[in-house]
Amino acid sequence: MLSYILKRLALTIPVAFGVSIVCFMLVHIAPGDPLTSVLPPDASAQLQSEMRKLYGFDRPLPVQYGLWVMKTLQGDLGVSIATGRPVASELGKALGNTLMLAVLATMIGFLFGCLFGFVAGYFRDSWIDRLASFVSIIGVSVPHYWLGMVLVIIFSVQLNWLPATGAGPGGSADWAWDWVHVRHLILPAMTMSVIPMGIIARTVRALVAEILSQEFVSGLRAKGLLDFGVFRHVVKNAAPTALAVMGLQLGYLLGGSILIETVFSWPGTGFLLGQAIFQRDLPLLQGTILVLAMFFVALNLIVDIVQSMLDPRVQRA
Amino acid sequence: MRRVFHTLTAMTVLSLASPVLAQGTLRIGMTASDIPLTTGQPDQGGEGQRFMGFTLYDALVAWDLTRSDKPSGLIPGLATGWSVDANDKTKWTFRIREGVKFHDGSTLTADAVVWNFDKLLKSDAPQFDQRQASQGRSRIPAVAAYRAVDPLTLEITTRAPDATLPYQLAWIGISSPAQWEKKGKNWQEVAKEPSGTGPWKLAGFTPRERAELVPNKDHWDKTRIPKLDKLILIPLPEPNARTAALRSGQVDWIEAPAPDAVPTLKSNGFQIVTNVYPHNWTWHFSSAEGSPWNDVRVRKAANLAVDREGLKELLGGLMVPAEGFMPPGHQWFGKPTFKLKRDLAEAKKLLAEAGYGPGKPFVTKILISPSGSGQMQPLPMNEFIQQNLADAGMKIDFEVVEWNTLINIWRAGAKHDSSRGATGMNYSYFIQDPFTGFIRHLQCNLQPPAGTNWGHYCDKEMEGLFDQIRTTFDAEAQNKVLEKVHEKYVNEALFLMVTHDVNARAMSGKVKGFVQAQNWFQNFSSISMAP
Amino acid sequence: MSMAAPALTAIAAIEKSPGYWAGVMRRFRRDPVAMAALIIVLALVLMAIFAPFVAPADPYRSSMIRRLRPIGTPGFPLGTDELGRDMLSRLIHGARLSLLMGVTPVFIAFFVGSAIGITAGFVGGKVNTVLMRTIDVFFAFPSVLLAIALSGALGAGIFNGLLSLTIVFVPPIARIAESVTTAVRKIEYIEAARASGASAFRIVRIHVLGNVIGPIFVYATGLISVSLILASGLSFLGLGVKPPEPEWGLMLNTLRNAIYVQPWVAALPGLMIFITSISFNLLSDGLRSAMDIKA
Repeated sequence: MLSYILKRLALTIPVAFGVSIVCFMLVHIAPGDPLTSVLPPDASAQLQSEMRKLYGFDRPLPVQYGLWVMKTLQGDLGVSIATGRPVASELGKALGNTLMLAVLATMIGFLFGCLFGFVAGYFRDSWIDRLASFVSIIGVSVPHYWLGMVLVIIFSVQLNWLPATGAGPGGSADWAWDWVHVRHLILPAMTMSVIPMGIIARTVRALVAEILSQEFVSGLRAKGLLDFGVFRHVVKNAAPTALAVMGLQLGYLLGGSILIETVFSWPGTGFLLGQAIFQRDLPLLQGTILVLAMFFVALNLIVDIVQSMLDPRVQRA
Repeated sequence: MRRVFHTLTAMTVLSLASPVLAQGTLRIGMTASDIPLTTGQPDQGGEGQRFMGFTLYDALVAWDLTRSDKPSGLIPGLATGWSVDANDKTKWTFRIREGVKFHDGSTLTADAVVWNFDKLLKSDAPQFDQRQASQGRSRIPAVAAYRAVDPLTLEITTRAPDATLPYQLAWIGISSPAQWEKKGKNWQEVAKEPSGTGPWKLAGFTPRERAELVPNKDHWDKTRIPKLDKLILIPLPEPNARTAALRSGQVDWIEAPAPDAVPTLKSNGFQIVTNVYPHNWTWHFSSAEGSPWNDVRVRKAANLAVDREGLKELLGGLMVPAEGFMPPGHQWFGKPTFKLKRDLAEAKKLLAEAGYGPGKPFVTKILISPSGSGQMQPLPMNEFIQQNLADAGMKIDFEVVEWNTLINIWRAGAKHDSSRGATGMNYSYFIQDPFTGFIRHLQCNLQPPAGTNWGHYCDKEMEGLFDQIRTTFDAEAQNKVLEKVHEKYVNEALFLMVTHDVNARAMSGKVKGFVQAQNWFQNFSSISMAP
Repeated sequence: MSMAAPALTAIAAIEKSPGYWAGVMRRFRRDPVAMAALIIVLALVLMAIFAPFVAPADPYRSSMIRRLRPIGTPGFPLGTDELGRDMLSRLIHGARLSLLMGVTPVFIAFFVGSAIGITAGFVGGKVNTVLMRTIDVFFAFPSVLLAIALSGALGAGIFNGLLSLTIVFVPPIARIAESVTTAVRKIEYIEAARASGASAFRIVRIHVLGNVIGPIFVYATGLISVSLILASGLSFLGLGVKPPEPEWGLMLNTLRNAIYVQPWVAALPGLMIFITSISFNLLSDGLRSAMDIKA
């Protein structure tokens, strides 16, 4: 077990290293001198060269990268160009808001996904299966930013039941788990849960169908053994994979929150990323993407390890 | 069901937050995407000044914002009076108001004002702040030198005689030197707890989400002590999000409601407040080498292609079609001979004379922003104009950049790399005084980086007129010169003159006592909230 | 939106009897859902190609006096948009850029990814390690994040959008290609072909390509719907197509301000994305079960 974890960790380190290189290069593939957006337009030549030194752009790329990594490891992600505030503090708050949304969406998605998937797989090829499968394929096919808009049209514009945007009357600053705030969370979380719901449903359906088609299980069923026993068997065998998919989905939601957060003006990392892009705030862009990607890498690692604990067969794969 | 739901919500709100709401908290949805810079010279354009400038700070010279029936004029602010030396017209004396306290308790002196000028203009001063300087420096191009004669007397020397100095100084908020010292001489820290002399104090803010202002009960002007307990500013750059926030009661007031939403807002009992103000919405042309706009026929053709009545339809009537650079009826309007109307035949003719046609199609690039203070509804409006110009055979490509970026490009100039080869930008102007109205756009020595003559325009006749404005200290005579300037602006079609905004705001019926001044800035002190 | 982690369980090489493809066709034709999806996709493609002939009006022609008309307005069956342009015509023309932006990245990534994966799988050793570890790095980004990071850094525009999306879809395809190739390579007859001295190129061409392209292709068709949603998503954010081009994502963006006036007209472009995306998904599912591939 321990050796598997170590092996898995060893595999993660080069990937994390590569991810950091990609994030670092983002600033350098951006058209134009990265400094043009940093410098005031009336900067003198002297100020320009000073800034160059300050940002370290006068050094060779590998050295720049090294320095950047060192600073990043100390938690210093640089300073936002647009606001002059440290990127790390801007990100910290946003990350909390996105996590709240994504975790809730994943939970909703997991619950309904398992339900639909299980029913579909259990009553395979019946009309229930077709219906449940159809719902799950809608989940993976719907453009969620559009779904968000439609939900806003129905629940905010037409019915005026739920707020259309924002994270509460006072922004996210005074978040509390009361109705005044939670009602802001309902529409974005519902919208966001649709993708994991679809994917988990499809996974669970396939798993359940496969387990049920194993000979000894069909033998059990044929013998008229209590369905509960079969159910337990299915859950035990399907759970590790379903949980793994759920873990990865959480990572995808965190990374892909920009579209939903834009629709709902939710003050999370995606919203921040959108602002960074349109203000050409490269340090903020770089920092946000690095943190989200690293989150995803770490999540992948955790999912693998947990899965291997639940299901020793995985280690052999 | 809906009513039940509302009641439930109302009850929850009451039980949780009623002590605050009942005593008068006004929540405003701004169009800016972030909380404007809090240290004295706000970013985010005119809206930044409105909400984070003249709330927390006072300038030496202030705008009279108490009237809605006539254009606002200048009144004494932190200076009780000023005069220009009869012999040397470059030497001004400002008498500093006595006994004015900053929010931190320290006292305003002429030295503090000098310290503030250094903050913006003297790049080797310890308190020099690049962020504030890039906002404030271009506002006071006339200022050459300044000194404190005694604790209550300030002397300012201008580069050349300049009658517009008081207008320029009205932009400069005075922040507290003592607070900067206290915060470890670090503007980053001052930003969190700034200190000015204004009628409001910053109680705290969450970047990109909200700022909370509370009254400064010790303000020197008793009439400007706020009645409200709290003023909350929420950045809502998306017009939709603003409308939604107002409708759902998250805010009580929104700036620039989407015109399409105005009818539904009205029918839901919200008040729509409008007033003319000195604003225009233009395409600022580049006069740099190679710009197609260097040909007056092309500029005229574009002006004749714009369907301003159609645009008014698009904006639900919330605009005044441009007849010139200044709003119709303005005291400097004069009698320009070039009429701004839609005349496609004439536009096509002019374009053909300029050498464009099937063999040589007209194609150029314009910078636009998706939102921004004074920019109205930039995306659909520009798209509409793009279509208008296409009707005359002019193909326009857009480069969309965020509002703050557009401001930076505007400062950098059409020849700067950041302008990305565009030959024009959609920019809306504050045109409240001779300097911001005319001079800054087209004076030769204000070409970037020195000033905001974005297009690098330089014309001898115009220079002569500008000199006359600055040296004519008699108001009547100065107006005559200004009329001539405006006639030249229009007759030579120096801008694509499209429209003037009417400064629409939508607010709940609970907002009482607001007087919308004919100004970019507003006074929030007279407002109260009905329970 | 996110693609399901591609099943890395090696896809078993398909044993091909002479009647294999005929069987696939027969099974596919018997699947009513898949056939319906195929018809919708074909109809959309035809609509895109012949848009100027199908559309009743000029998609760029605006008019301020007839803006934001509801669905069912005489002369404008699907209403008009915020600039008074005919929605039906814009939706029809929108199919061009939307399909182009959605399908092209997968198409290019299919070739690039297959080439990388097959090379890595067939050559093995150090080449495999270098190629696949590089792929792993890009695979370590959530797809939406990678697409937005790249097009955000490169700037808006059709070309940058296509480039970013292609980079997003190369890693998953390369991974599948590599795992299938590695599995196929270990099959005895290829070992035998190698032993008999056949050239590497010949082996790849005949044995490997013949056996692995099918599964990779099916996997790639499953990505088209993701790609469509993502491509329109980029335009929705203002990172893809620029105004005034008709493109579903961009139309959704500009119509968003009209949801208080004509909510259902504003929602139409998204419906088009949805219909297209679900058709491609059902088509891919049908293809997969007809070819009897487990994914």
